[in-house]
Amino acid sequence: MASQHPNIRNAEGAPLAPGQPARPAQRSRRSWLRALPPLARPVARTMPWAALLSGCLAGTVYLEIAARLAGTSQPLGQGNLRLAFLPAIAALAFVPRAPFRPLTQTTPVPGWTAPAGHVLLSAPILGLTCWMQLRIIASTIPPHVLARPPAVYPLIAQLIGWCAVAVAAAAWVDRSRYADLGGAVAAPVSFAVIALAWYAPVISGFLTEPPATVSRVTISWYVVAAAASALACAAMRDQWRRTAVTRR
Amino acid sequence: MAAAAPRDDDRPGVTLTRAPRLRTVLGLSRAEAQMMARSPLALAGLLVGAVVTWLFIHRLEPLWWDVSWRIGGGQLVLGMAVLVAAQLAAGRPRRDGLADLYASCPATVATRTLAHLVGLAGALPYGLLLIGGVTAAVQVRGAIGTPDATVLAGGLLLVIAAGAAGVALGARFPHPLAGVVGALALFLSSGTTHLASGAVNWLVPWEMVQDQLGQLPGPLTGYPPGRAHALELAGLAAVAGIAALAVTVRQARALGGLAVAGIVAVAAVCFAGAVQLRPIPAAALNQLASEIADPASAQACATASQVRYCLYPAFGPLLPSLEAPVNRVLAQLPTQPGQPLTIRQVVTLSVPDSAFTHGLPDREVSRWNAQVQQAAGNAIAAPPSAIGLPVGAWPAVGGQLADAHFDLALAAAEWAVHLPGTDSFGGSAEVFLPCVPVDQAREAVAIWLAIEATHPSAGELQAGLGSGPNIQGADVGGTIIRTWNYPGTGLGAVAPPGGGTQATAAGYLLAKAMTSLPAQKVSRVLASAWGRWLNWRTTDAQLAAALGLPMPSASSGVTAPSGKTTAAGPPNGPQSPVCAT
Repeated sequence: MASQHPNIRNAEGAPLAPGQPARPAQRSRRSWLRALPPLARPVARTMPWAALLSGCLAGTVYLEIAARLAGTSQPLGQGNLRLAFLPAIAALAFVPRAPFRPLTQTTPVPGWTAPAGHVLLSAPILGLTCWMQLRIIASTIPPHVLARPPAVYPLIAQLIGWCAVAVAAAAWVDRSRYADLGGAVAAPVSFAVIALAWYAPVISGFLTEPPATVSRVTISWYVVAAAASALACAAMRDQWRRTAVTRR
Repeated sequence: MAAAAPRDDDRPGVTLTRAPRLRTVLGLSRAEAQMMARSPLALAGLLVGAVVTWLFIHRLEPLWWDVSWRIGGGQLVLGMAVLVAAQLAAGRPRRDGLADLYASCPATVATRTLAHLVGLAGALPYGLLLIGGVTAAVQVRGAIGTPDATVLAGGLLLVIAAGAAGVALGARFPHPLAGVVGALALFLSSGTTHLASGAVNWLVPWEMVQDQLGQLPGPLTGYPPGRAHALELAGLAAVAGIAALAVTVRQARALGGLAVAGIVAVAAVCFAGAVQLRPIPAAALNQLASEIADPASAQACATASQVRYCLYPAFGPLLPSLEAPVNRVLAQLPTQPGQPLTIRQVVTLSVPDSAFTHGLPDREVSRWNAQVQQAAGNAIAAPPSAIGLPVGAWPAVGGQLADAHFDLALAAAEWAVHLPGTDSFGGSAEVFLPCVPVDQAREAVAIWLAIEATHPSAGELQAGLGSGPNIQGADVGGTIIRTWNYPGTGLGAVAPPGGGTQATAAGYLLAKAMTSLPAQKVSRVLASAWGRWLNWRTTDAQLAAALGLPMPSASSGVTAPSGKTTAAGPPNGPQSPVCAT
């Protein structure tokens, strides 16, 4: 039998009754913060790089092909970038995954550390993808065009909002009975939310430009992102054990 | 084949039975088909596909040559869901680390892959349900024409092809992201056809937005190329299925067979693509241009109550819906107008569209374009004694149909009171500005006739006045006249005679006050001096006085066409002419 970690105080030591929630390890904040640096490597190693990079590259390649097809005669717009960013959103839905949660809940660091670390690691990749895609659509605008291009900051706010929605959906699915499918459920859910924000008459008045103004769109999407992040945090910190225990 | 394993105690051993391959495939296929049919993803795809199809068709006239193709948009969404479901099913053993366990089963990987492919039949009920549901909805809304079975079958083939692609993806890439990205690729290829042009659009799995099917007066040969597209999708389904099997088959002989089948499938796809890229037959386009430029050569006309209705052959069922509001307006007239009214369907088609004209001589295209440009549908305004009905714009049911009825009744009433007259529109070739019947009693009479004929809701009529910053106005000779947007404004279902007028708030308010009086009393007053009321110099105040009504006032503070809120003052935008004849 393995010896108990000194940071884990399991006073009773009695086995869990069937159906009883898993008892989380009690940790001191200073000790688990000390454990974070050594965790960076395994978190980076368990990060679903292939899925994330595939999604980001798929959208970027699509946009590059579309740009070559369109040429400068038909410049690409922010709408094309939004479409091209969808594969990255789909990939992001596979990132916040916490396998073996019943086990990780008993370790010295909180169970949400790994998925949160994965989300943090994916942020620069998504930022880079967005930057590359913006460069691609900018390359299709012919030179010496006097018309001012549309502002980018509402688009960035929108993409951040989409990412937050995808992370929240993935975190919630990860705490459901469909956790094994993870992003396969979270991605369509995220797309449904995005479509709703785009087409629902009342909501689109705040989240789509036009009819909403640029500043209103920006503020609304940051509010959405904040709310979705809060939901994602709540789901990641959730410690209820979903594993079914069959009584014989 | 059965084999008995030897036992130590000389009793009969355990019998290992290797079921025939066909029976195994059929059994597994049945199980996979049942799982597909019960898949929540496929069900969600059906629901979203139905919503997408409805969004495509609910605002438009239910023309079967258009709706048949629009159903394919819904099938595309269903296909995306089936693709994800099939990829999840095919990739499950490897994704869950159970490949070794499955390998110990009697059925080989290739057998299971084949079963997954045959099990896609479980998605067919969803595709058929979508077709059946949309068909029922379209028939209830008064469908025009007949469904195109080839195009509908093409939609089903799209679902199967998407599912086969999902199986192929799952056999090679078990991660669920592969299915989601595959579905997105399917969507993006069909959703961004505006980046391509011409017949190339038909090559994507399902073109959704870049066509003019809804403006055609009837089916056009080769537009869309339904049979060739169905063949292309069947070929793609076969290619995907062969790719899925090629990943899992180990025997050299089977691989050879698959290679041959793959070559045949690719050849079929290439052949279908070449057929789709062929130009539309010149004879068909020639006939279409003639039907548009000279509608009389193709339309069937019927005359009732001095009104001549001319419709394209498939649109006969529309006639009662047109006659009702017009007849009710005519029945209220004290004197029938001297010249007959023609209500004719017009086509607002853009011929310089490479999807129509690719591969055809420029000279022919220019000739057709010139023909169509001269047609009534593309003229800046309909003749004074004709009302145009753009093909594809007449709503089927609901509030929009009621608005279209009011729109048609108002157009007939304006014709009856000689509005807007001739040469009464202003602006330039780019900007069409209808004339404004400023302080003319005949406008109020026309609006009253239309209200009495169709009885639209009071709220909708009142909403046309706008409120706050939405109050609109027209600049007439430097004075901003408050305008009224009647129900159906912007619907585009009716092209009124002479280009129509810009209704004024004063005219509507007087007509509204007239509706508070008994209809017989108003009719009596109108009949007593009908010629006077038709005179453009007779004012609203004179009509109100004759009816014993106080003259309602339209408040000032209106929004000029330029968007600035102004009171009456100097001109700050394009000026509208007065309807004066």
